[in-house]
Amino acid sequence: MGFKYIGKNDIQRPNVIERATGKAVFIDDIKLPRMLYAKILYPEYAHAKIVSIDVNEAEKMPGVVKIVTGQGWKRKFGDCIHDRLPMATDKVRYIGEPVAAVVADTERHAKEALKKIKVQYEPLPVYTDALEAMKEGAALIHEHSEEHFYVSPLYAPIPGTNIALKYEIKKGDIKKGFEEADVTVEKEFNFPHMSSVAIEPHATIALNKEDGTFEIWTANVGPFAVREQVAELFEIPVGDVRVHVPHIGGCFGYKSDPSIEPLVAYIASFVPGYPVKLRLTRREDFTSTFIGRGIRSKIKIGATKEGKLVALEEKLYLSTGAYADTGSNILIVAVQASGGAYYFPNAHVVGYSVYTNTPPVGALRAYGHPEPEFALERAIDILARKLGMPGTELRRKNFLSEGKSNAVGEKMKKSDGNLYKCLDNVEKAIMSEKTPKEDENYYYGKGFAALIKSPKAATFASKGCHLKFNVDGSVSLNMSGADVGQGLWAVARQIAAEALKIPPEKIRVYNEIDTQFSPWEWQTVGSAFTFQGGNAIIRAANKAIKILKENAAKVLDRDPDTLEYDGEYIYDVSYPEVRVPVNKICRGYVKEDGTTIGEVVDVTSYYRLPGAQNPDPETGMGRTGVSYTMGVQGCSIRIEKKTGKVLIDNFATSIDVGKVINPKGIRGQVLGGVVQAIGETLSEQIKFGEDGKILNPNLIRYKIPGIYDIPVKQTIEFVETPDEIGPYGARGVGEHPMIGVAPAILNAIYDAIGYDFYEVPVTPDKIKAVLEKKQQEEEHE
Amino acid sequence: MNRITLTINGIKRTIEFEGHEMLLDILRDKLGLTGAKHGCDTGTCGACTVVVNGEARTSCNLPFRMLDGAEILTIEGLSKGKQLHILQRAFIEADAIQCGFCTPGIIMHLYALFNKNPNASDEEIKEALSHHLCRCTGYTPIFEAAKIAQEYIIKKERSSK
Repeated sequence: MGFKYIGKNDIQRPNVIERATGKAVFIDDIKLPRMLYAKILYPEYAHAKIVSIDVNEAEKMPGVVKIVTGQGWKRKFGDCIHDRLPMATDKVRYIGEPVAAVVADTERHAKEALKKIKVQYEPLPVYTDALEAMKEGAALIHEHSEEHFYVSPLYAPIPGTNIALKYEIKKGDIKKGFEEADVTVEKEFNFPHMSSVAIEPHATIALNKEDGTFEIWTANVGPFAVREQVAELFEIPVGDVRVHVPHIGGCFGYKSDPSIEPLVAYIASFVPGYPVKLRLTRREDFTSTFIGRGIRSKIKIGATKEGKLVALEEKLYLSTGAYADTGSNILIVAVQASGGAYYFPNAHVVGYSVYTNTPPVGALRAYGHPEPEFALERAIDILARKLGMPGTELRRKNFLSEGKSNAVGEKMKKSDGNLYKCLDNVEKAIMSEKTPKEDENYYYGKGFAALIKSPKAATFASKGCHLKFNVDGSVSLNMSGADVGQGLWAVARQIAAEALKIPPEKIRVYNEIDTQFSPWEWQTVGSAFTFQGGNAIIRAANKAIKILKENAAKVLDRDPDTLEYDGEYIYDVSYPEVRVPVNKICRGYVKEDGTTIGEVVDVTSYYRLPGAQNPDPETGMGRTGVSYTMGVQGCSIRIEKKTGKVLIDNFATSIDVGKVINPKGIRGQVLGGVVQAIGETLSEQIKFGEDGKILNPNLIRYKIPGIYDIPVKQTIEFVETPDEIGPYGARGVGEHPMIGVAPAILNAIYDAIGYDFYEVPVTPDKIKAVLEKKQQEEEHE
Repeated sequence: MNRITLTINGIKRTIEFEGHEMLLDILRDKLGLTGAKHGCDTGTCGACTVVVNGEARTSCNLPFRMLDGAEILTIEGLSKGKQLHILQRAFIEADAIQCGFCTPGIIMHLYALFNKNPNASDEEIKEALSHHLCRCTGYTPIFEAAKIAQEYIIKKERSSK
């Protein structure tokens, strides 16, 4: 099929000029009349009872309008589990938990007054790791977790423990599987806590009007979730909460579930009629929003001597933080993704999401996938060595392909993608040059890893498209997909242009989301916009064309099904000269005498993943993914002997995306995703003291990649096996470039220096320690 | 109240302030020039970068009281009406703008660099970019944009000679 706009590069991102000229309005750029500013008081302990709070002196400070505490508040909030309060009441569970807030005329005044609030605590034991918090006799972080409301039995906690959720999948017969195995590998891996680190820190403005309604402005890609949770918290109709989303300065996960919004709404409820802004500092962005990852895994895999994988047994432990709402979903996803891109006839995987005294774990780009796939891809490399077989060969023997089922028993279709082609591409890019021999300055190595991911959203998650034909034949598109940089506005414009056969310049894409006017969307998450949003656009376009034909049928005296549409005209298929221009019928048709007939072309359509199910409560299995995107990544690296630094010469990514919609945009997703994951692999980690304090809550000590940390070269090649149900054959890809990076690099590190790392980040000092030890051993010999 | 006079985006302005403010506070809160951003509060991310007397400076840690008589250029002063600056066009062309939050700071830094030395080497360009954090692009498109802009700038200089 020939496309006019799909796959073309000359589509400019809508609204990019605003971003280039510094005029795009981000949340912190918004000033409202009467606006007040809030600052938050945080606890001195990561786990403690609040004995007393004294605000008397603080109230007398200049500019102070109100001091807010959580005292007396009861209702909790959440999506799947309601375990969270907007502000601490009787105890604090992590170091960034809000204890009190000052509302003042300026941020500075609010900050000054914070110092005058006196709080007495009674410290409790602190756990930052699931394995500690699971131990018998551990202090309970939530004393009565069984009292939390949860939406389905899937989310039930284990009372009397810190386990917020246990979830397992069983496929085939695990015992039999290992009996068939000639070779097994059993290892423990760790993907510690990290942060999304968008360059824009979180901020929210909330206004509680005197009539009881709320208006909220926030940098969050889930404005409808914010609306629902705030409405529930204050027991008001959902429609009484209106949420605006301006431009967002990056998301990467942690701006996708309500984080500070319920807090700011709560604070604003104490000063009705006055908008309250809370703008987090970078430090607070680390300590008081969501953090990510934090999964340990104990994995055992087995294969026959021919290299057929026969069994996967794994335990996953998520240190979920003080509140488990998103963490429980992350754990479920991680268990479901544990089999990665391979066919295991037998699998038994158990996951635990465990309350700990860290900030709550939330979404981080590709959540639930990099963690288990890291463990699996490393284990497969180790297994291949035991079998005396190249890792790439072992992978090829076991890749998911048509008719083979993943760990949750979902059978792959041919249209889900072709891992073999992806591996061919990556192997060609990485293996075309021989690995140099160790020299005076460097060790050299190569490594590979496969990846797979499905959207993993709620089964009812929908995306909508409100499409209006304007009187001149131009089109306005309203959707609720937040363009956080991934470029979905451009994709929306392209798909609409293709579906409506009109030039992209005539399609005006929304740039602000407003829950009062924008069509409902679950959240802009899971790399699902192109897939679901694209289908919503096509549905809306078809609806609009149908109305145009019905209108034209009345004008032209024909039946609608004998008419055709070409973007400019509706015409008779057999007599194309019998036609009416679209701009004459898009608001109905006005006859010469002024009487008007036909419908206004203004339509809304939605799309959700067809047939997505919750997992079976007994086996954990089911159609939980529906749409999968798979690929392979590989790299050639060198390790500097003097410093232990890993330098990446070439990082190759090949993903079967079904169809490339926007070549520049999709390249940007891979380039950026790979570099973000290089950060997770080589430098990023939130470090906790034993007391639960975060030791590096700033960009100096929590080091995200800069330009000197990127690969010398990135090779990117897409495979296009058209998806059966994706728009024009396309699948999601935004998160996927993150998934194979850590295992590919760690596999390459082994190739270079013969040492297996089981934990990221592999910092230069860790490598240096290994090299020094190695040297000592060699000297000893 | 303190008062100083300085030139911001070509306009001479006398500004009253309390004394503790950083340049970024004045730009954003007092003048409504919100193109420069708060990103890290420690001068690490570069999102607040503007040009001060021809030099790229992080404005979040630059005390305003030190700027009497200074000439300041922010992203808002770069384009001339609907005529975008070469750098802005190059950033769009190279798809170097994703979320756009770090963009103003990076563009202003490159502006200062190329103003001083249009023939800056690749290493010098990278050095300038190393003062900025971008989480979206992986830097490659930004470097490409800088190279595209540099080519335009050199061409323009040649043709004006």
